[in-house]
Amino acid sequence: MCASSVIPGTTLGATRRIRISSGAATGQLARQRPAQPVAWTEAEAIRLAQAGNAAAFEFLYQLHGRRVYALCLRMVGNPADAEDLMQEAFLQLFRKIGTFRGESAFSTWLHRMTVNVVLMRLRKKSLPTDSLEETLEPDAENSGPKRDVGAPDLRLSGAVDRVNLERSIEKLPPGYRTVFVLHDVQGYEHNEIADIMGCSVGNSKSQLHKARTRLRELLQEEIRQQAREERKAAKTPSGSLD
Amino acid sequence: MHCKELESVLEAEGLGQLSKDARLHLATCGACQGFVADLNTIVTAAKSLPVEVTPPDRIWISLRAQLEAEGLIKEPVEVSEPSSWWDSLTAWMKPRTLATAAAALVLATAIYVTRIPRNNQPDVAKNQPKVEAPRPAQPQLTASVPSSPTLPSSAAPSKPQTPSKAKELAPSPSESASFTLNQAELDVPNMQLAGNSQVDLALRQNLRTLNAFIAECEQHLKQNPQDELAREYLYTAYQQKADLLAAMMESGRGDN
Repeated sequence: MCASSVIPGTTLGATRRIRISSGAATGQLARQRPAQPVAWTEAEAIRLAQAGNAAAFEFLYQLHGRRVYALCLRMVGNPADAEDLMQEAFLQLFRKIGTFRGESAFSTWLHRMTVNVVLMRLRKKSLPTDSLEETLEPDAENSGPKRDVGAPDLRLSGAVDRVNLERSIEKLPPGYRTVFVLHDVQGYEHNEIADIMGCSVGNSKSQLHKARTRLRELLQEEIRQQAREERKAAKTPSGSLD
Repeated sequence: MHCKELESVLEAEGLGQLSKDARLHLATCGACQGFVADLNTIVTAAKSLPVEVTPPDRIWISLRAQLEAEGLIKEPVEVSEPSSWWDSLTAWMKPRTLATAAAALVLATAIYVTRIPRNNQPDVAKNQPKVEAPRPAQPQLTASVPSSPTLPSSAAPSKPQTPSKAKELAPSPSESASFTLNQAELDVPNMQLAGNSQVDLALRQNLRTLNAFIAECEQHLKQNPQDELAREYLYTAYQQKADLLAAMMESGRGDN
């Protein structure tokens, strides 16, 4: 599967010249931003950031911040934690930027750091999303496609919207969630994910397939739940509250 | 191929290119067709999710504060890069401009009032109309400034100027200032400004710098007469020169 979007830090992202304007900045941020827009390549900005240049730090933050924030948001499911994690990830990045030698793409390096920060936090805090893993059948990953005998038609086609997909992604186990978000949402290739996650390409593929399968089950459960609620609402007499 | 084998293929290869066996199985197995269709639905839906989400500004504010606290942000050290004469002079002028303008004008006026009568006193005593004599000489006095060895040859005032041209460069308030300054400057070359020769040297150096700046301002105004900023700088330079000359004369008076 190919990435459908341009990823900062890939060959194209690393060499293109990017202009960031501070025109939309407001308040304190506006005062801290450079008065003039800067136009650097990512490599130039990294070099300057390694020398402690504040504008270069901000340039890199502006360049990658939105993707990192999206990743954090999907990983933890709530903005407050996502903000916290994003800040932590960038802080680690800037602390270690002096050691970046360009052996891997900068965005890969950043995402690896972000994923590590997020997974570490999820392990430490045992966020409620983890507990759902236990509720799933242990043999679900090893069985064939689930077939619900006698169940209503649970084909997902036309039934998956953004809301229930986001909600289901939040319920995935962290490992699956990470691979799914990186591959199917953010468009990373398996070799990049393997680099970010520190695993093999085969492992990344396997995790992705399991994530999709699990997601299918979660979405089916969502649909069932919706169907139950609709039935319940239909049974309730309309004038019962009067 | 069985359903389980198909799933192994999907796990290893993804939903892309399936083998012939896998395609054959899919063609005959409704459950697997549904399964693959669902996975494709999920993949399509996932691609519609936004890849980027704009974070709140407060994250960068907080991050930057943290970076500064940890000393990771190092403010760039001022490096004396060769910049344009205009930029450097502009930068040099700015801090003093407003603070000294009023004081310099007062000083210049004071010098004018105290020195001119003393110099012209014999003439005044002999013949009252001769008091007016220096007035027509104003252009000459202006022209004599450039003859000072401290000024560069390109300095605008060094070229003989018609009064109208001088007026164009320096409107009325600065005309008298210019006259006064140039007259005062005539005394400077012969004056021992301070007991300390280093101070003397520094004062003269400052005067040279100011003269050069005035000359460049005038030159700039010749080329761009509508440049209000240059005109403002010229006024300020006159004021600063008055300030400096006052200081020099005070110093000379004190020491001589």
